Amino acid sequence: MMRFLQPETLREAIDLLSADSSSTTLIAGGATVVLMLQQKLITPEVLVSLARIPGLRGVREDGDRIHIGALTVHREVEESPLIRARYPALSHAASVVGNIRVRNQGTLGGNLGEADYASDPGAVLMALNATIITAGPSGGRRIPASEFFVGFYTTALKEGEIITDIEIPVLPEGTRMAYLKYKSRSSEDRPCVGVTAVAAFANDRCTDLRVAVGAASEIPRRLPKVESMAQSQALTDELIREIAESYAANIDTLDDLRGSAWYRTQMIRVHVRRALEEVRHGNR
Amino acid sequence: MAIGESLPMLDSRERVTGQVPYMANMRLPGMLYAKVLRSPLPHAQITRLDASAAAAMPGVIAVLAAADFDAPGAPELFYGFRLRDQPVVAKDKVRYVGEPVALIAADTPEQAEAALYAIEVEYEELPAIYDPVEAVQPGAPQLHDATPENRMVHAKLRHGDIEAGFAEADLVIEETYTSPLAQQTSLEPHITIAEWKDGKLTVWSGAQAPFGIRNNLAELFHLEREQVRVIVPPLGGAYGGKGHIRIEPMAAALAWKVGGRPVRLALERAEEFVTVTKHAATIIIKTGVRNDGTFTARQVTTYWGSGAYADASPGLVPAGMVRSVGPYRIPNVHIDSYGIYTNLPPSAAYRGAMSSQSAWAYESHMDTIARRLGRDPLDLRLQNLLVSGDHFATGEEMHDVHFVECLEASARRLGWDQPLDRGVGSIRRGRGCAVMMKSTVATSRSEARLEIDTQGQVTLYTSTVEMGQGAHTALAQVAAASVGVPVSSVRVVGPDTAVTPFDPTTSASRSTNMMGAAILNSGAALKRKLIEAAAPLLEEPTDHLSAADGAVFVTASPAERISYVDILRRSALDKLDATGEFSTKGGLDPETGQGIATPHWHQGAGACEVEVDIETGKVCVTRYAAASFAGKVINPVLADLQNDGNVIFGMGPALFEEMVIDNGQIVNPNLSDYMIPSFLDVPAELNSVLVESEKGEFHGIGEMTLPPVAPAIANAILDAVGVRIASLPITSEKVLRALLEA
Repeated sequence: MMRFLQPETLREAIDLLSADSSSTTLIAGGATVVLMLQQKLITPEVLVSLARIPGLRGVREDGDRIHIGALTVHREVEESPLIRARYPALSHAASVVGNIRVRNQGTLGGNLGEADYASDPGAVLMALNATIITAGPSGGRRIPASEFFVGFYTTALKEGEIITDIEIPVLPEGTRMAYLKYKSRSSEDRPCVGVTAVAAFANDRCTDLRVAVGAASEIPRRLPKVESMAQSQALTDELIREIAESYAANIDTLDDLRGSAWYRTQMIRVHVRRALEEVRHGNR
Repeated sequence: MAIGESLPMLDSRERVTGQVPYMANMRLPGMLYAKVLRSPLPHAQITRLDASAAAAMPGVIAVLAAADFDAPGAPELFYGFRLRDQPVVAKDKVRYVGEPVALIAADTPEQAEAALYAIEVEYEELPAIYDPVEAVQPGAPQLHDATPENRMVHAKLRHGDIEAGFAEADLVIEETYTSPLAQQTSLEPHITIAEWKDGKLTVWSGAQAPFGIRNNLAELFHLEREQVRVIVPPLGGAYGGKGHIRIEPMAAALAWKVGGRPVRLALERAEEFVTVTKHAATIIIKTGVRNDGTFTARQVTTYWGSGAYADASPGLVPAGMVRSVGPYRIPNVHIDSYGIYTNLPPSAAYRGAMSSQSAWAYESHMDTIARRLGRDPLDLRLQNLLVSGDHFATGEEMHDVHFVECLEASARRLGWDQPLDRGVGSIRRGRGCAVMMKSTVATSRSEARLEIDTQGQVTLYTSTVEMGQGAHTALAQVAAASVGVPVSSVRVVGPDTAVTPFDPTTSASRSTNMMGAAILNSGAALKRKLIEAAAPLLEEPTDHLSAADGAVFVTASPAERISYVDILRRSALDKLDATGEFSTKGGLDPETGQGIATPHWHQGAGACEVEVDIETGKVCVTRYAAASFAGKVINPVLADLQNDGNVIFGMGPALFEEMVIDNGQIVNPNLSDYMIPSFLDVPAELNSVLVESEKGEFHGIGEMTLPPVAPAIANAILDAVGVRIASLPITSEKVLRALLEA
């Protein structure tokens, strides 16, 4: 019979997780873990809840950075005035995760830890140059979002490590951003493709461009070489098309019920273009 | 007046406060929990089954496998609605992934679940077949020894001279349409509790056909029908998935083995997907048409994938045959409708049964024809739609048919003749319409009983199942009107085969019509009894008396009256009751399909506007108008909700829903991967029209506007971007591919 434990300190949780990490599963909001348990996709011997550990929830300003506690639910991320003001694309991405029931229950840390490719927030955090902060048996680590996802449902988390925080650096004044979630099926489906574009401009020329594509491949992808094509350039229709084409050509897409690999490639082309058109025209 | 009033559902408060006594909440003292061991293979011989370790597990009270049915006095192993080909648990052979192989009853669900893993089964895998067209080819794996080529049922219709009809045509068009395996997806899963006491069996079950299940169980357990009692609480949805005997034999057989304590079997969502499905269909439709738009001939060949066991198919495939032509004047018709065994879960009714697949084909085909002729699709339909007095392909005369009114009403509500903004950028807009005809059960009978007591309370005893559709509310309104009391005085007692009178099934949109008519008859009978009892009190002969508004009065002098309550009190009666029934007869010749298909035709239509994003293929249904023929509307709000619900429900199979199969395994047996519409998908403008007729018969309306949804959307896509999608669901990817290939 599975044991359900509710440690009250992070240390205790790390110890429980480290004791036998192969048969222990962490549960935050449970939006995913409970489904997986019900479908018998996982059969842990120990379920360790993080819910009673203080200090893991909420959005706060820390100098020029924003910290989001790992146990902050999507709805809170969506509604946070700080996030709305500084990272509107993240607020928007949080507002389109699953459905309202999932958003009130699922947590940002849980979402990242599961590393389901068909997800919204990961690609946004990657484009925002966020850092995933962890605690573990041998201390804390700071993992750049771009290095956090390493494969299909696999993260850079090491044995016994727990996500505690997501840190997002401040962006230069005048940065524009967009998150486009493309759903090929129902309005409450997971993304078929999710595209985040973050762009800073000086005199109508792009000083910094970041484009992250989520849900299309095993992990969210940024293509720095393609991003640099925009450096010091105006985002013309032609340049936008070129960038979109390069993203479509260079991401190894996957097949699932939301679309074939071929279809996803087409959707990357369309939605990278649309996201770039959006950041060229205005903020979101 | 109770009829025509938009009353809220009788139990609306209970519904929104969680007080409805669903099966899901029912627990009995000493109750055991059942779990099902299921086949991991699509087709295999069982070479060994050893449950001895499982039987010794903590909390396990009973294990049931096919060998138990060999014992003296054991129940029959095989059951079925018409063809008894389905074992309660597999014997020697499994025929689909998910087929029950053994059952466990334990003190807790966890103990039952744990014991499943201790049952040892060895299989020898056999070749399997999933596609109904491939399953009839020579050399295809055969599921049942008695059924060569896997053809379980073949229904046919021969009307006129099909070859001569095609020869007369200026244009002959043949197309093939497909519709995949899909799920009924009731919110509440199948749940049954079975209990044996003194050699009698009592079953509580979320089921649409209490008496059918009672009769099937009586056969299975060699009992008199009266020794089996089936009680049905309100259902959390059914959509056809609870239309016939399903999990009741498992629960009852396990309870029989237990011998005393009640056993509860409740399916998980993934088990729902392997218990009952919508028939997959491949439909080949060929039509001859003259340049003036009149039809000369139509041939339809349908391969229904019925799954591994007959289940409801022996009844539904012939019904699907009749439903595959379309409501048009066609002089020469030739139909073959095959129910084919495949290595998949059994298929049965799915709201709009067989009509959804059929109308998908004939109404998409209709727009192909209109395009080829250069005709407006609405106009071509109106030219050919059957009207009262016409003869259908079965040879029967059409009466009280209003296909034209339904289609015109939906088109008018949409604004078919208004200019359409064709869209800018990547968006293209288009309009489409569709109409459908559906038969109901040809020969059937419903009974109702009404009782009035000294408080003036009227109790309606009915075996019609309340499953969220509002049947009990509508029937209470009919009861109130028929007796002449306010609806607030009517109480409904729902299905219990030991208490409520006979009714075969709450399905095929038959209840409002059949049960409604039975209630009108019992109301009239109850009034006669009240008049007889009042006659001596009013000192008038009965033929001078009338009954209305809670009183019997002298017809010529209405002020001389006596209330129903006073009639009972002054006659020293506790109560008066009366039973009424209504029955219909029909049927088709099995060789020619000629005869009477249905006592009346279900009629519905829809018209819609869609937006297609030509860069993604994504379709958005922005406006929809649905019209059904309702005869006489009992409760306008509930009736409109049926129309609305049909459209939303129908958008699922049209755009998203498909059970994806990989080597017989269902890839998406959950509601995250199997996609049903969300409320955010509901068209921004959704309209309902209820068409009534002077004859004023009650008509069922639970399905009428569902079958037109998929073809109306497909036709609107054709109008918007010129591509024809011939396989459901119409995914974004299919549309984009078609656009790129065009």
